[in-house]
Amino acid sequence: MTIRARVTGAFLAAVLSTTAFNGAFAADDTIKVGILHSLSGTMAISETTLKDAMLMLIEEQNKKGGLLGKKLEAVVVDPASDWPLFAEKARELISVNKVSAVFGCWTSVSRKSVLPVFEELNSILFYPVQYEGEESQRNVFYTGAAPNQQAIPAVDYLMENEEVERWVLAGTDYVYPRTTNKILEAYLISKGVKPEDIMINYTPFGHSDWQTIVSDIKKFGSAGKKTAVVSTINGDANVPFYKELANQGIKAEDIPVVAFSVGEEELAGLDTGPLVGHLAAWNYFQSVDNPANAEFIKTWKAYTKNDKRVTNDPMEAHYIGFNMWLKAVEKAGTTDTDAVLDAMVGISVPNLSGGYSTMMPNHHITKPVLIGEIQADGQFETVWETPGLVVGDEWSDYLPDSKDLISDWRAPMSCGNFNVSTGKCGGKGS
Amino acid sequence: MHRIARTLLLAFLLVAAIAPGLRAEEPLRELIDALGQAKLSDMDEHIAALAKTGDPKVVPVLEALGEGNLYARKADGQVFLTKESGSTLSLTDPVSGESVGEAPKAALSKVKVNNGVRRAVRSALGSLTLLSPDRDARLKAAQSVLQSPNAEALGAIEDALAAEKDGEVRALLEQARATTLIISDRPVEEKRQAVRLLKENGGREALSILSAALNAADDSLKPDIEAAVASIEQSQALWAAGQNVWYGLSLGSVLLLAAIGLAITFGVMGIINMAHGEMVMLGAYTTFLVQEVIRDSLPGLFDWSLAIALPLAFLVTGTVGLAMERGVIRFLYGRPLETLLATWGISLILQQAVRTIFGPTNREVGNPSWMSGAFELGGLTVTWNRLWIILFALAVFAALLFLLKKTPMGLQMRAVTQNRRMASSMGIRTPWVDALTFALGSGIAGMAGVALSQIDNVSPNLGQGYIIDSFMVVVFGGVGNLWGTLVGAFSLGILNKFLEPYAGAVLGKILVLVLIILFIQKRPRGLFALKGRAVEA
Amino acid sequence: MITSFLVKSLDRTILIAAALLLALAVLVPALNLLTAPDHPLHVPTYLVSLFGKYLTYALLALALDLVWGFCGILSLGHAAFFALGGYAMGMYLMRQIGARGSYGNPLLPDFMVFLNWKELPWFWYGFDMFWFAALMVVVVPGLIAFVFGWFAFRSRVNGVYLSIITQAMTYALLLAFFRNDMGFGGNNGLTDFKDILGFNIQADGTRAALFAASALALALSLVVTSGIVRSKFGKVLVALRDAESRTRFLGYRVEHMKLFAFTVSAMMAGVAGALYVPQVGIINPGEFEPGNSIEVVIWTAVGGRGTLIGPIIGAILVNGGKSIFTAAFPEFWLFALGGLFVLVTLFLPKGVVGTAQQYLARRKAHRAAERQDGESDKEQGATAPEAMAAE
Repeated sequence: MTIRARVTGAFLAAVLSTTAFNGAFAADDTIKVGILHSLSGTMAISETTLKDAMLMLIEEQNKKGGLLGKKLEAVVVDPASDWPLFAEKARELISVNKVSAVFGCWTSVSRKSVLPVFEELNSILFYPVQYEGEESQRNVFYTGAAPNQQAIPAVDYLMENEEVERWVLAGTDYVYPRTTNKILEAYLISKGVKPEDIMINYTPFGHSDWQTIVSDIKKFGSAGKKTAVVSTINGDANVPFYKELANQGIKAEDIPVVAFSVGEEELAGLDTGPLVGHLAAWNYFQSVDNPANAEFIKTWKAYTKNDKRVTNDPMEAHYIGFNMWLKAVEKAGTTDTDAVLDAMVGISVPNLSGGYSTMMPNHHITKPVLIGEIQADGQFETVWETPGLVVGDEWSDYLPDSKDLISDWRAPMSCGNFNVSTGKCGGKGS
Repeated sequence: MHRIARTLLLAFLLVAAIAPGLRAEEPLRELIDALGQAKLSDMDEHIAALAKTGDPKVVPVLEALGEGNLYARKADGQVFLTKESGSTLSLTDPVSGESVGEAPKAALSKVKVNNGVRRAVRSALGSLTLLSPDRDARLKAAQSVLQSPNAEALGAIEDALAAEKDGEVRALLEQARATTLIISDRPVEEKRQAVRLLKENGGREALSILSAALNAADDSLKPDIEAAVASIEQSQALWAAGQNVWYGLSLGSVLLLAAIGLAITFGVMGIINMAHGEMVMLGAYTTFLVQEVIRDSLPGLFDWSLAIALPLAFLVTGTVGLAMERGVIRFLYGRPLETLLATWGISLILQQAVRTIFGPTNREVGNPSWMSGAFELGGLTVTWNRLWIILFALAVFAALLFLLKKTPMGLQMRAVTQNRRMASSMGIRTPWVDALTFALGSGIAGMAGVALSQIDNVSPNLGQGYIIDSFMVVVFGGVGNLWGTLVGAFSLGILNKFLEPYAGAVLGKILVLVLIILFIQKRPRGLFALKGRAVEA
Repeated sequence: MITSFLVKSLDRTILIAAALLLALAVLVPALNLLTAPDHPLHVPTYLVSLFGKYLTYALLALALDLVWGFCGILSLGHAAFFALGGYAMGMYLMRQIGARGSYGNPLLPDFMVFLNWKELPWFWYGFDMFWFAALMVVVVPGLIAFVFGWFAFRSRVNGVYLSIITQAMTYALLLAFFRNDMGFGGNNGLTDFKDILGFNIQADGTRAALFAASALALALSLVVTSGIVRSKFGKVLVALRDAESRTRFLGYRVEHMKLFAFTVSAMMAGVAGALYVPQVGIINPGEFEPGNSIEVVIWTAVGGRGTLIGPIIGAILVNGGKSIFTAAFPEFWLFALGGLFVLVTLFLPKGVVGTAQQYLARRKAHRAAERQDGESDKEQGATAPEAMAAE
């Protein structure tokens, strides 16, 4: 018993002392930025890079003199790909470390897990990954692509340039592919594609045996119509999928695969020789040729001390989000959440694809959409680009229940799900 | 005035005099340079124009275009064939075929290609090289005209067919002729024959061509095509069952590889080795390192990389296993459940160590050429890497069986695991036998990692994906019995692949798990249960 | 009879621990709600919900200890019962959202609306009522454990075979709940809860109440499990743990006893899950992950298997460590955690509490021996974990 009490006591003391320790730091003359990306577990593979990118951006900003005359200080925690732990760590960042904004999350479920925390404690989250849409929250800024900024232009490209008539929608069984495929299915049918020309297939996370599915795709593609695969297959499962494609001899010239979750980082783990010509739709490619991007790549390689490190779209999203936040804080003159939230809408900063991105009232940003083909060196070559910028559409027009909803967080409306047909703000308040 | 007119006249005369020599070259150069300015959407026409010249110099140009090695000089728009050397490109003049020095990448811009361009290049190259003296080039050409049939190439194909002597190329050309014929404007009777030929040859490509042709076909031809499609589909369905068995065997071999090391450490020694998956991962990372060294210094050895990696992976993971056994596990004998906790801890440490050293992202492990691609066996598509993995898994199994049953080392291992005290009193150094057995199991896991690196991610999470399946296989087959592991792996693999087409990948896997649970109720000690007193101990 | 049960179950250690938990249940919420934020004794809400979470983990570990520590069933699927209880609670909380979801649909949760579900699946009926959900929290895990155990124990599946099939069970459930077609929200799970029993789930008061409820549930479970293991039935459980065949030959229906313990334990795990979900605000299939179940085993082992206090200490220690390390050394905390597991198995084979008890017992025995030679054997024989050494 005495030992038990002692152990508990020691432990409580430890917790309280870290709290006190952190509290002491908060009084210091820095502005704290929280970084909430998994550094271990299944998502570490994607998220660790974003943590490094954020640390680099913060370091660069400090070299330029920080923000509001103070230095920025990064607070890194590891939510370990464990969704409830995301909520716990978010709470810790906001209420214990007193961060001014948090950059983080990758999977939709991690975002969903932290949303109530940001709402309750009134802080700011920048979410850098393409996602399924159907959400707009006051405390969150979505710097990744909504489905209309990635999926729909990609399908348009295939329809126009490759004359695709038959579609395989293959995805991992979770909410992003499900929603994206629902939207795409509705979109394709609205374009006159027959339902029997659409094949939808879902696989579990980390699926590694693709033999049957790839051969099904081959079979589906031998009906005499030009066929393409729209892949929303998630990170880890992509490598075995592409390896199987290459080995079964599916060439991009015959059945192109357009992916929404495969970027430079994923390709770094692959021999891309046999994959040349398969496509990806993003808002940024490392190969985009302009001075800002060249500078960014140079800094990144120097920061990671690795000449082979690649950049990717979510990194660019953090770059945009971080610069927007800096600008908004400067405009507001304070890091106070409400003031920054007000200042954010309308902020415009250069993106890395050679233009400007603007924060819209729905907390999504404007982006160009690029379609790239995989090259033998693991990079993408842009083969098509939207003529202008595309505004992120949070509530898809192709889903029956969300087409009447809009979001506008500016003063009079201040609503994330305003129903234009009833003229009421959906679930706001109570 | 007068002077100017005279000069002009002179110039005109000069040009006219040189022109015949230039005429052959300049339009070609113009056509090639035009590629540098063309929009992606007009490329088809430019390629067709180039192909129409029939000039053999066009072939390397188109090849370079298809491979993305064609660059235009930014200064004057001239197009060159290039070869990458570091940050500069070495340039070759496309018309003269001579090297014209090097230029920095920034001074040139790449001629853009997309899938459409590559398709056009493929079909143009096909008809251009049909008459090449090189047999392999003709074979490739025949394949490409078969893959992208183009009605205009029909004449060229027929010419080539008339001249062709080689059997294999002929067969391909016959097929190519038939496919092209169907979409051409030839008489119906000839088309009917072509349909018959395609029907006899069968295969998925034929099915694709025939179904595409169906819509545009003449009414009198339609029944023939429909019949052909139906007959091909029927034979495909028959082959599909065989294909499923093959997929099942292939999945089974992966399970066998993943589980076989565990059959030693868990099955024979009784250690619930949660770090088993990490041994597989270390083996895969060894392969990565070997390939990295080869890429940097000895590119010629790349095809041997796996052969070099195998013994190295065995040594590396075997040593890690030895260290684990000596450092931790030997204190835990007789407490099997506690080995679970310790090895779980070790697995966390190993994962994080690899993540710290190699980074969290996937690492590239390439397929050697003998493990790439596929071949057709009747109606089956057999990929080389899967075939090798099945053979490798069986070889490892056989070697292990031999080691355990026929060597003194194996005898000692079995003696120690069956009755430690007795073995010890017979003079066997049981601690060393334990250590070596564990090292052996770990080493085999490492070799499995070399094979699995060919089909899966090489990332710190690699092992996690296999650990549960491995335990299922060993337990299903019967703990302590190698044959059980073999039969267990292959039956689970085939069962899974037969369920997948009906139930889908997810539900199929759930059903397999439920079946395992039910099976264990029926045979609580697995497929091949050990008998005797040892069981209760 | 109930009094005798209570009296028997309340040995001094358990009594003190339960009292301590009750005190916590009152004190922590009071310090959280009644003191000003800058008061030295103020407990921030952050810590309240953090410790509330630990308490539910402790309850889960206690449930596992009942079957593993006292009955010898190493379940590698206990997190599944925890998650099932959590889902039952999550479904109630989802139904409470009502028309306040993004789409304003009064009946269907958001994830069903945007995936074009037209009506509520049958298994969601009734979850709008708290009593029904509360019932399901114990019935669903209990029923699954009962059916599973009924087959497994009757077929005399034991040892690692049993462990592996419990793992197969949780893995199959994981895959099933990941499927969006199942109607449980797929990978995103259930989230965005608004209120529980009419109280705003984000309010400090609600959090404090949930903490108190967790502490109470843990105290109650402690008393109940203590009652079970100290009863005659509990003695037989320990007997069958140490020598199953002998116990069977003595005429006990071993499989019935195991089944009872397994089912009760699963129900406790379900309650833990139900208390966990409103405090963390999300339930998703990740909770079924086989790794989570292994972690529960580790908490129990760290604290001390076969002691009732051990699992509680273990769960709080390991999770507390995790909370601190993931913030203090985000890149290296796995080394610390992994190292902890290895060191504990090597140097504290009986866990923290087990080792402490052993030490105390030895000291006591030593003293007794000094006073009165020959009495020490009996003392040692009475300590429960001592029996484990035989394994």
